[in-house]
Amino acid sequence: MNDSALWLVLHKMKVPFLAIVISYTISIVGLLLIDGVDSYGNIYHMSIFDAFYFVTYTASTIGFGEYPFEFTYQQRLWVSAMIYVSVVSWFYAIGTLISLLQDKLFISQIKQYRFKKQVGKLKQKFIIVLGYNYITSEIIKIINDSDFRVVVIENDKDKVDNLILENFTPHVPVLRANSYDSQNLELSGVKSMFCKALVTLYKDDELNLRIAVAAKMLNSNIIIAAKSTTKNHTENLKDLDVEIVENPFKIIASQINLALMAPNILKLERWIYQIGKLNDSLPTLPQGRYIICGFGRFGQEIYKVFKANNIKAVFIEIKETKKRANKDIIFGNSDDKHILKDAGIDKSVAIIAGTQDDTTNISILRTAKKLNKDIVTIARENHIEDFSIFKNADIDEIFMPSKILINKTTNALIKPSADKFIKYMRTQDEEWGQSLVKKLVQDIDENPSIYLLHLVEKRAIAILNKLKTTTLKLSIFKTSLSNNNLANNIIVLMIYNSSTKKEIVLPPWDTNIEKDDKILFACDDYSINEIEYIANNVFELHYAMTGQEKRYLSFKF
Amino acid sequence: MNIDKVIAGFFIILAMTVNFGFFYGDMGDMELHSKYELFAAIIVNIIATLLKLGDRTQMGSVLLATSLVAVIQLVIAASVWTIFGYETISREVFGIVVSLSGGALLANITSVMLYISETVKSKR
Repeated sequence: MNDSALWLVLHKMKVPFLAIVISYTISIVGLLLIDGVDSYGNIYHMSIFDAFYFVTYTASTIGFGEYPFEFTYQQRLWVSAMIYVSVVSWFYAIGTLISLLQDKLFISQIKQYRFKKQVGKLKQKFIIVLGYNYITSEIIKIINDSDFRVVVIENDKDKVDNLILENFTPHVPVLRANSYDSQNLELSGVKSMFCKALVTLYKDDELNLRIAVAAKMLNSNIIIAAKSTTKNHTENLKDLDVEIVENPFKIIASQINLALMAPNILKLERWIYQIGKLNDSLPTLPQGRYIICGFGRFGQEIYKVFKANNIKAVFIEIKETKKRANKDIIFGNSDDKHILKDAGIDKSVAIIAGTQDDTTNISILRTAKKLNKDIVTIARENHIEDFSIFKNADIDEIFMPSKILINKTTNALIKPSADKFIKYMRTQDEEWGQSLVKKLVQDIDENPSIYLLHLVEKRAIAILNKLKTTTLKLSIFKTSLSNNNLANNIIVLMIYNSSTKKEIVLPPWDTNIEKDDKILFACDDYSINEIEYIANNVFELHYAMTGQEKRYLSFKF
Repeated sequence: MNIDKVIAGFFIILAMTVNFGFFYGDMGDMELHSKYELFAAIIVNIIATLLKLGDRTQMGSVLLATSLVAVIQLVIAASVWTIFGYETISREVFGIVVSLSGGALLANITSVMLYISETVKSKR
């Protein structure tokens, strides 16, 4: 039973209970003392039980009538007096109990207790997500699809209700409390051995840092994914050994960089993040002069990218206070036609609307299109709710920090291998990207699935047993199980082993596989099925190796 | 001096003494055990239990536990007495009633001992 809730009830019910006991006792004693008359006219005294029975039904206003015989006038006089006292004390107790059940403190205690119990019951790795909004709800959906469970802390009542209405499967326990309170973090199971990670993506950098500090103090083994948009906080988070630090503006800036330098790599990245397909049109940005509206955190990140790539750019900023040692800033409202003309809109090839207001962004791009109809428009979309407006606004490229944040977080948390591959990909050039895209589309299809096989006992028992006696090549996985001379549509993106530090990107088919290897496949859904068969079923593995059916099982003890 | 503590102490000790009053006497002799004394014992014990509610200290919890034992034993004794025919009760059944109250008496003695030991330890 919930300790504090029980004590709360007991403490508040003490006086009402005493009132009931005392009023009942007085009533019972009176009934015992007063003479009654039975049906033959003899003097009769009520027994203790009779008196108790009578008081019980009278005080609770059920009123079965006079018992066991009709009362005398003395008895009736006493009963009239006793009814006032006992009924009032009875209602007092009931009233206190009901008001207690509606008490906010009591209810929150009960909810907290339920939450604690649900978290305690989680015997499976889970991730704590702080705050519930569009971004985290998408993250929750993706995490729920994998082997992990989710626990949420949210302070806002409406958002908690929304989460409950969403009806996530498996169930997502939610605590309504302040997430920066270390006690609440503890309640949500930060210290549990099953807690794997904590996600804090609040808008407020200070809050994220504070939560990261608290969580790291409570349990240094968990992975923390935190959002940070300023350099100062990012450094602080890195000092704390926070594993995943995300800056949505930096992400967009690097994507713009990719779009400029290596659009095929960006295409691959979007495919891995599942926000695009391989046959989508290339997100190419033209070479030339750029106008960027907004020189806030977003604008500054883009400034760095453009400076590194030697692209000429003009910035327009509304606030004069953001003065930097940069000659190319024009101060003024970017929505103003004259300002845009001053910025040289007719000489520019592209305009990026990067303010934090979605309406302004759309309006800027509309004005820009009117002034120069050949200009390429690029927008930053802040709120996911505005998606349909942006879609109909006829904008060439839309960068959405929230969507990238979702994919980035989930990839880093539950698909670290894909994240590793993306990191490697970023170091490659356009040619490499182009050939990989071509290969993937040719060998598989325009949207291959990504599948990770970890060579451990739980996932690949047959392979591991075979590896004890012989060596196996990577090509074993591409064998078709319907005809071992044919091959399935598979491309191995990466093979790596954390214990032997082996890491091969796009390995050749004759690479030897070892225990504990992690192999990242790009393939169709049918091939995933066959890979799983080969990894786990001795008969299928035997067929894949030799092309013959295995006829007996050899037991080894 | 604290009036709350006087009341609590009064009821804890009264619970034991009244309980003893009912228990004392030959086990099978109905005339030596007054039903009114049992009634009083139950009421006083319930009040003593209620007074102990809400104290979250270790001592408070143990005191509450002993009182609950006493109340339960006495209520069972009264119920047995009522179920088996009140006036026309046999010697054996009456033995059960008295021995149940004896058990409650032990719990009450424990309770009082704990209460006194706490008082002795207290410096105030």
